[in-house]
Amino acid sequence: MGVPYSGPADPLSMALANRLVGNGSFFPALETTLTGVTLAFNSGATLAITGATARCTLNGSDVPQHVTIAVQRNDVVSVGAAEKGVRSYIAFAGGLGADEVLGSCSTYLSAGFGGHAGRALQKGDELRLHDAHGISPGLETPAEYRLPMLDAWTIRAGASAETASLQNPQQLFDRKFTIASRSDRMGIKLDGHKFATSIDGQMPSVPVFPGTVQCPQDGSLFVLSIDAGTTGGYPRVAKIARMDLHLLGQLRSGNSLTLIERKEDDAVRELRAKHAYWKTWLTDIADVI
Amino acid sequence: MRSAGDDLLSVAVADPQTAQRLAAVLRDSDDWIEAVAGVNSVVVRFDIATVLRADAEKRLGIAAANIPEPDERQQARVEIPVIYGGEFGPDLQFVCEKLGLTRREFIQIHCGEYTVDMLGFIPGFAYIGGLDERLNIDRLPEPRQYVPAGSIGIAGGRSGIYSLPGPGGWPLVGRTSRKLFDATADDPFTLSAGARVIFTAVDSL
Repeated sequence: MGVPYSGPADPLSMALANRLVGNGSFFPALETTLTGVTLAFNSGATLAITGATARCTLNGSDVPQHVTIAVQRNDVVSVGAAEKGVRSYIAFAGGLGADEVLGSCSTYLSAGFGGHAGRALQKGDELRLHDAHGISPGLETPAEYRLPMLDAWTIRAGASAETASLQNPQQLFDRKFTIASRSDRMGIKLDGHKFATSIDGQMPSVPVFPGTVQCPQDGSLFVLSIDAGTTGGYPRVAKIARMDLHLLGQLRSGNSLTLIERKEDDAVRELRAKHAYWKTWLTDIADVI
Repeated sequence: MRSAGDDLLSVAVADPQTAQRLAAVLRDSDDWIEAVAGVNSVVVRFDIATVLRADAEKRLGIAAANIPEPDERQQARVEIPVIYGGEFGPDLQFVCEKLGLTRREFIQIHCGEYTVDMLGFIPGFAYIGGLDERLNIDRLPEPRQYVPAGSIGIAGGRSGIYSLPGPGGWPLVGRTSRKLFDATADDPFTLSAGARVIFTAVDSL
């Protein structure tokens, strides 16, 4: 029917925030994009902030990211603009109340459904928190599980169905692209290198997924992200490996991106290794990445 | 069958209707995270953390060799009133120039009854097959960043109706006021694969 995957653009950061407040990894949480958010509490709550590097305050005093924070009625929590990375995640013990559409609480902005009235939050909106079961112990993400927010990213990727139509497929890898300003939850445009394929503009539409890299006729690559359409008509020239898909949510306009090649067998082996590494902190990591 | 990525397998099928039927069967099985139909292929995403690629290929091959016959349900017929050209179809002029048609000829050829091949891309976007060969045209070299809801594009022998505002790569020839997606409705989708649509030219929406 054309409904995208949706959900957090960086599911690993959201899972880390939920972990700190005792929630399952996919409990509804807030996602901010570049700009931050200020929240005034009408009741006590337990929350945690992860994702993009940002200055965070509680009643004007700095509070760290990646720790459980308890707030009281009338407290004000502020998450500043993203300094590195793009998206902050704010999770609340018990989870955020949200509209459920088609089995998901995810906001899908283009269609205006899910989340909070199907739209981005506005000043004055009131959010509802579900009751937390029990009291969350104060936690802190261990240093080795804090995702570094970078200026230069390296992401593993491999071939897709039309890679062979590229005149020079090896030029996909081990070169720096620049993240273009034309980037959002649907797709990320890569500047710096252009490509040519042997396929004309009349290719029958084919299924695409988050992580599919398309090459329109003008030659600039598009990396489809979490709100990717379900089908598209441009050649699929690469696919971001499943294990690194979560990084797409933090690629920022002006950052550099280098794709490094992983054949299918290596992509499987390294995904399993990544799961094994994370499992000690996030037991359901295999559902998250 | 071929790979479309580390966790994606693509299988070719004869036509959009067959793709729909195969995807429906695959969605009913526990073997796949997702199954998505294209115009002449189906792609499955499988859990590479637990399933071997060779096993996934084998299962997909068996399913693709046993696609059920079509059922002969009566399909809905939906009229789509279209304003062609002008601000509503900003590409109609260059499309006509490229195809060697007048605006009037284009509209005459485009109006008529068609079958929806599939929904895809964005919620409710309808791929409508059977376009007259005289209207064959390429996608835009670079997709537009913003296409208004209701826009009607043509590319690769199909018409498409943009159900929602967003980016899009098809040359735009007109627009309809008919809503194709309503998240608040019991059935949010006006059209479905197999439905009949009738494009008619109107002067105002």
